[in-house]
Amino acid sequence: MNDKSTWEFGTRQVVYGAIGAALYGVFSWATNILFPLPAAGNVTFRPAVAVLIFFAVAYGPWVGLLAGFIGNMIGDGLSGWGFYWNWSLGNGLMGMIPGLIVATISDFRARSTILKAVGWGTLGIIVGMLFASLTEMFVGGIDLNTALVGYFTPAFLGNLVVTVILLPILMIAFAGVAARRGR
Amino acid sequence: MPESPLVIENLSFQYRTRPEPAIENISFELKPGEMLLIAGSSGCGKTTLARCINGLIPRSYRGKRNGRVLLHGKDVAEMQIADMAQIVGTLLQDPERQIVASNVYNEIAFGPENLGFPRAEIIARVEQAMKRLRIEHLRDRETFNISGGEKQKVALAGLLAMNPSILLLDEPLASLDPASAYEALEVFRSLTDEGKTVVLIEHRVEDAITARPDRLLYMETGQVKYFGSIKDLPTEINHREVKLPAEWVVKRVRQMGEKIDKRSSPADKTESIQNVERGESLVVFENVDFRYGDETPLVLQDVNLTINRGDLIAVLGPNGAGKSTLVKHAIGLLKPTRGHVLVEGKDTRTMSVAQIARVLGYVFQSPTHMLFAPTVREELEFGPRNLEFKKEVMQQAVKESISTVNLNGLEEYPPLGLSFGQQKRTTIAAVLAMRSKIMIMDEPTAGQDYANYTHFMDAMCRPPAEGAQSLVAANFAATMFITHDLDLAVTYANRVLLVGDRHVVADGPPEEVLKDFDLLRRYRVRPTSLLRLNLELLSRTGRFLTAEALAAYD
Amino acid sequence: MLVTWKYRPRNTFIQRLDPRTRWIFLFSIILALTIPEIWDYRIVFPLFVLSLTLFFMARIEWKDVRRAFIYIFILVFFIVGLNALFFGRGGPSSVLDPSSPVLFFGVTVSKAWFAITQVTRMLTMALLAIPIPYTMDPNIYGTAFKRMGVSDKVSFTIDLAFRFLPTFARDLTITVDAQRARGYEVEKLKGGLVARIQRLAPLIIPVVMQSTVTGEEVIDAMDLRAFGTAPRSWLKELRYAARDYFMIALGVAIFITCCVLKWGFGIGGFFVPEFFTRLVT
Ligand SMILES: Nc1ncnc2c1ncn2[C@@H]1O[C@H](COP(=O)(O)OP(=O)(O)OP(=O)(O)O)[C@@H](O)[C@H]1O
Ligand SMILES: Nc1ncnc2c1ncn2[C@@H]1O[C@H](COP(=O)(O)OP(=O)(O)OP(=O)(O)O)[C@@H](O)[C@H]1O
Ligand SMILES: [Mg+2]
Ligand SMILES: [Mg+2]
Repeated sequence: MNDKSTWEFGTRQVVYGAIGAALYGVFSWATNILFPLPAAGNVTFRPAVAVLIFFAVAYGPWVGLLAGFIGNMIGDGLSGWGFYWNWSLGNGLMGMIPGLIVATISDFRARSTILKAVGWGTLGIIVGMLFASLTEMFVGGIDLNTALVGYFTPAFLGNLVVTVILLPILMIAFAGVAARRGR
Repeated sequence: MPESPLVIENLSFQYRTRPEPAIENISFELKPGEMLLIAGSSGCGKTTLARCINGLIPRSYRGKRNGRVLLHGKDVAEMQIADMAQIVGTLLQDPERQIVASNVYNEIAFGPENLGFPRAEIIARVEQAMKRLRIEHLRDRETFNISGGEKQKVALAGLLAMNPSILLLDEPLASLDPASAYEALEVFRSLTDEGKTVVLIEHRVEDAITARPDRLLYMETGQVKYFGSIKDLPTEINHREVKLPAEWVVKRVRQMGEKIDKRSSPADKTESIQNVERGESLVVFENVDFRYGDETPLVLQDVNLTINRGDLIAVLGPNGAGKSTLVKHAIGLLKPTRGHVLVEGKDTRTMSVAQIARVLGYVFQSPTHMLFAPTVREELEFGPRNLEFKKEVMQQAVKESISTVNLNGLEEYPPLGLSFGQQKRTTIAAVLAMRSKIMIMDEPTAGQDYANYTHFMDAMCRPPAEGAQSLVAANFAATMFITHDLDLAVTYANRVLLVGDRHVVADGPPEEVLKDFDLLRRYRVRPTSLLRLNLELLSRTGRFLTAEALAAYD
Repeated sequence: MLVTWKYRPRNTFIQRLDPRTRWIFLFSIILALTIPEIWDYRIVFPLFVLSLTLFFMARIEWKDVRRAFIYIFILVFFIVGLNALFFGRGGPSSVLDPSSPVLFFGVTVSKAWFAITQVTRMLTMALLAIPIPYTMDPNIYGTAFKRMGVSDKVSFTIDLAFRFLPTFARDLTITVDAQRARGYEVEKLKGGLVARIQRLAPLIIPVVMQSTVTGEEVIDAMDLRAFGTAPRSWLKELRYAARDYFMIALGVAIFITCCVLKWGFGIGGFFVPEFFTRLVT
């Protein structure tokens, strides 16, 4: 099924939404617990974010939304931290926005495609993390500055670095796999 | 008169992305209570034919389709998927990927739930399906934790709960050990006897015929080569493409007057194996105990084992016996709970995996678990780079290993875009490039078709015609492979380890270990026709040989 | 390295509750505190005690949740510290009462009391959220969402994600082992930050790419079993018992009470109780 319509929601989206969520959860947990990356200040790096944005770019906005929302729920759950609806929604947005370009992509290896994906990924990170940080103002009763400095900036920076480095690698690898399986 | 459950008329299909048709002009008809065996090498179009029958073509896969598939008189292309799903039940090759629910009960109920049946009806169907396959005891288990054979039964129960009249089984035996495969075939037979129409796709013809299929469809490059009774040996079937019972191969080789392959001639084999110098112990297990967690039972107990220079070891044993656990000790991925493992005289506890990797190369079962680089060259450089080889040494090693496994010309190709067989060779080359002395392979042939894997094993373990050394003999001091395929042990190994019950229960040359059928059966290894024939002729051959070579003895 | 979901069956009041009840109750409390912006300690503290009670009733072992609490405390103190000390705002504007006496470094009595209330308020919500993964059967998430009105497909996505979780965790384990056998050392990621993140590619790529291939087969398997052709009937039944009605009623009552108090009577806003002022000055 190659003619992708951006907002289609069928078995394909269910399956990749679930796979994306499980991977997001597993990788979040792995880097939280197994091989923690160095944290600079309270910037933590979550390589799973690159996987989430990759799934969005490859399979569309619904997949990004579900993978982000459910994946964050699973990642937090695995690490034992409970359930935080606003961060799950923020992660969902972070996946949904880059998914909007799914219909425009044909060659995952092309430099222009990769740049576009990184650009939209960045936008997704900004919107998603801004959403989660700003809602903390109501939930946690913090002020705008704290939300920006305490929550948004570290989350944004960490996710951005990881995406810029890993998303292109994932896309190039995927081009190889996709070449083998024409559907 | 009732319509035939399955009629195929002049069916052809070409995938949108392919220049040539995947299947061409296929026609046949099946009756209720009939079992059809479809055999053929990889890429001959078996799965494509299955997709035409279950309606995935033309629904999910695009391309040019001609001809008709009629299910009980109705064209599959015009049916609703919900109706179709209640007529054809499809079991995919890897049950691990077919199971969509976390626990067994929900998995079996998945289909009826999708059809929106009322609760009571679903429960009745699930109970009936579980009873039919005798898996009631699994009802509360998690699907992740059950064995491969159990997974397959659960997936099959999920199909039976939809009450289909046709069962389509696409290489259902691939992930099972021989005893479980045999049990599965018995189940397929009894379902056929109950009146279902069964289409069994399997390139292991030798195994599949124990289910006593009524007819055989043999395909080559998308076309039907033979269709008819399975009783007398159809000479159309190429014994190099699919796995036939040894007697059939012998008969065919003689009938066709084929000149017996030089490579498999007895003299050659004797030479290659017996003349290798045995000596020098490379890896030593001393009283090894192992358990995965403090509270879990021992997986290995008091294992003593020495791998010597010149060994070509096949490791046999049932699922879960501890084969992988055993070999992971050799490379230090696992350290013994008690006892020692010595690699070249040094305790693995004092070495890192990376250090041991210089001596011992380990190829994992599935190439997809390790391939990641954008090009084959970078993939092969990964190991040497980790081991901090000098640049020139690394380049030399990479170049050599590429030509050894014959991947020339693919250096700049992405490994993830290669075919399965090429990927497998890439993983071997990746280990070769590290220049280790010992090669260990975990199920090197799993998931490959017969033609591919004999080709692969020949290249690896058997010397080519000109009398040069085999790849393994030329590059490694010793080799060890784990397998569920007894015939690999018969044809390629000079030493067999049987692992079971936490111990190495037998260790010796294949001619000795494999003649004890009781022992084999106790550890779920089923003697094959090749083994029986070899044992019959052993007094004359002196060693185990391939079926083709046995044709020379009458 | 096996990933284990935190759930274990325990015979407790909390676990006998219907999962929907637990979600509804959690959201009632979150909404009760946030929508009418409740900062009055006379409301916040009783709710905190309620959360704490429910938390203990879940009977989770301390060693299980220790990490989570350490993490939450670090975060809370960092955020609250930032909020109160550096920016000194947040919450209702009355926190910035200029007449409030200064304690130290520009921290006023009212800011200090605000910080205490804020921590309590955050914990009230966290204490309800933390036990969920420990006490709710992962097999029930999908059904619970379905019965709360979420669509078939989205609810099933949740179930399927839990189904794949252990599979991918195992794939990751195998990949780690396979790369270690090629001399790769996870423990010793060398180089700068960028290099270190790049060095994760050999672990991430194989698992992700394998999963994209798996996906294609799962799609076929699900289509062939008629997924999405009709409204699904979900086998698992959920039934509210008396205790569920009670808890839901309690949650909703708390929410309504908070709204009525705040908007009807003007009670619930921030103020510094006199005893606190007297205590610290
Ligand atoms: N989704 C697809 N898109 C394009 N080509 C395909 C697709 N699936 C299969 N093919 C091609 O169609 C041909 C027949 O493949 P098919 O999978 O039917 O073979 P098979 O007999 O089932 O092989 P195997 O034993 O390896 O499963 C092959 O050349 C294959 O590459
Ligand atoms: N990482 C692990 N943690 C806990 N138990 C494990 C782990 N890996 C394997 N086991 C258990 O150890 C036993 C031996 O497993 P192992 O994988 O060595 O068997 P095997 O002989 O290789 O089987 P197969 O033929 O199925 O590959 C099994 O009971 C298995 O469940
Ligand atoms: Mg096939
Ligand atoms: Mg194994």
